[in-house]
Amino acid sequence: MNIVVCVKYVPDSQSERTFQESDNTVDREATDGLLSELDEYAVEEALKIVEARGGGEVTVLTVGPAAAADAIKKALQMGAHRGVHVQDDAIHGSDAVATSLVLAEAVKKATDGSPELVLTGMASTDGTMGVVPAMMAERLGLPQVTYASELTVGDGTVTIRRDGDTASETVEASLPALVSVTDQINEPRYPSFKGIMAAKKKPVDTWSLADLGLEASQVGLDAAWTTVVTFAQRPPRAQGQIVTDEGEGGAKLAEFLSAQKFL
Amino acid sequence: MDLSLTDDERDIRQWVRTFVEKEVMPLEQDVLARERRHERGLPPEELKRLQDTAREAGFFGVLTPEEYGGMGLSAVMAALVEVELGRSFVPFRFAGDADNILFHANEAQQEEYLRPTIEGTRKSCFAITEPGAGSDARAIRTSARREGDEWVINGEKTFITGGVEADFVMVFAVTDPEAHKEGRTGESVTCFLVDRDRGWTSQQIDTMGEWGPAALVFDDVRVPHSAILGEEGKGFALAMQWIGKGRYLLPARALGGCERMVEMAMEWARNRVTFGKPIAERQAIQWMIADSATEIEALRWLVLSAAWQVDEGRDSRQAQSMAKLFGGVKCNEIVDRMLQVHGGMGYTRELPLERWYRELRLLRIYEGTDEIQRRTLARNLLKGHVSVRGHLG
Repeated sequence: MNIVVCVKYVPDSQSERTFQESDNTVDREATDGLLSELDEYAVEEALKIVEARGGGEVTVLTVGPAAAADAIKKALQMGAHRGVHVQDDAIHGSDAVATSLVLAEAVKKATDGSPELVLTGMASTDGTMGVVPAMMAERLGLPQVTYASELTVGDGTVTIRRDGDTASETVEASLPALVSVTDQINEPRYPSFKGIMAAKKKPVDTWSLADLGLEASQVGLDAAWTTVVTFAQRPPRAQGQIVTDEGEGGAKLAEFLSAQKFL
Repeated sequence: MDLSLTDDERDIRQWVRTFVEKEVMPLEQDVLARERRHERGLPPEELKRLQDTAREAGFFGVLTPEEYGGMGLSAVMAALVEVELGRSFVPFRFAGDADNILFHANEAQQEEYLRPTIEGTRKSCFAITEPGAGSDARAIRTSARREGDEWVINGEKTFITGGVEADFVMVFAVTDPEAHKEGRTGESVTCFLVDRDRGWTSQQIDTMGEWGPAALVFDDVRVPHSAILGEEGKGFALAMQWIGKGRYLLPARALGGCERMVEMAMEWARNRVTFGKPIAERQAIQWMIADSATEIEALRWLVLSAAWQVDEGRDSRQAQSMAKLFGGVKCNEIVDRMLQVHGGMGYTRELPLERWYRELRLLRIYEGTDEIQRRTLARNLLKGHVSVRGHLG
């Protein structure tokens, strides 16, 4: 079975992240980027499926600037077989709608129009919208099964467990399908030393919008349906409130929690 | 001159960085808490778990040649790895390394000692230092007397790293007392591989840091002639080889710790407000940060230059001594400043600074004190063995 995993190159959430003054988009120069941690679960799941079935290829696909090649490299180091990097200056500032368009076209091109299984993370760690999988599925005409915390590939079907607040659902879809996975589904492996060395030799295709038959006007900041109106630094953490217990500490504590609507 | 890292170096370093952040650093609070209770910070089973995780990904035997199952990394790469490991005070290291002189062992000894040491099923220790012979290793008095096909070892060793856990020792003893008396150590000292069940004993020495070396006692310990590592009488050269190898790795580890401490101090200085301003805006604090960062950078290049000379097969002893000396001195100054930036909090056992403060003090003493390094450096220069212009000439 051949699997396409869509991944995103995101600013490291451990570092100070900010926006660019010029166009209110994420400042990618200011912080180091990496493969979104939530996407590592999708890569891991794809590798496990291919390993268990004893065959098939995992293609890792990303849309992003030149540095996004690092996200592909990480996935290749983990064991993915080949990479596709869609890189075009016109894509800068694209919203989820445009991103899903580019990804969907790239999936088609990478699979000669017939994907078997497409995996994604549950959301990116920067935008955290979590809508791209559904949009892609719609564009590709595939059944979408999202937020999988367990995934079984059967004979022509895919079955997932989706954990809700009050119940877990088992959802089955026919293949080909698109599945987004949560951070509960597995424990992503570390790339191996051999994997790191081998990754350099694995094929990575770099495609432009033109390669996908798309126009610059369909993507980018100008075509975006959403826009960042303004941004501000997170306010410094306010000092906590100290309740001195002079006999009625418990009552004051209850009062405070009640005022915060915790009680 | 290109001073950037290769893609491989960057990727391997990134792997170690991620491993340290995800697997090692989360243990830090537990390590501190256990040490506050006077327990071992990183229990052996926890260390083993980490090492097994790393090994599964092929991170095993950083400097061990590939034919022995290791990674066979370059010295530069090993230094880069060590810096990353040093960023956490958790005493973690990858499994799969063995003392360099064991690689000179004969085939039978390799099977019995080297390969099990690499695998982690046996633990070694290196014993030359004695109560009356530290930096002046030529003054050792432990003796081995030949009796038929056996040697009988008597004497005391001290400050032996790993001596408590070791199940065999590479012990250095005088086998030619006459030559030894005349100062011909190149003929008088022999190295023996001695299993613990031959009867030597060890006792832990408590120190101000995490390092827990041991005192060893050899009281009529008998070993067969086949226990000699290398050649009879040629032990001193082996000892020098053991001591000289990988000296650049010690300041590399300390360097990682200093990087982390400066980061911690900057974070603290941005948030700690005195007299209406974060202390980061005070020149006194800024200078401490600036000096420390500059010294860290200087140390980085001393370490990497020494490692590069090792990889190039050059005589790296001068460079290694410089890295060790500068690292020992500067890391102690840096930890002192970063503790000062933290004020009273830096002195508490809630933060790891006081721990680093105690641990880094050792760097100026073991594996060649500051004074011995300076002595070596000056002698090499004064005798004209090396130029003050360094390896560039």
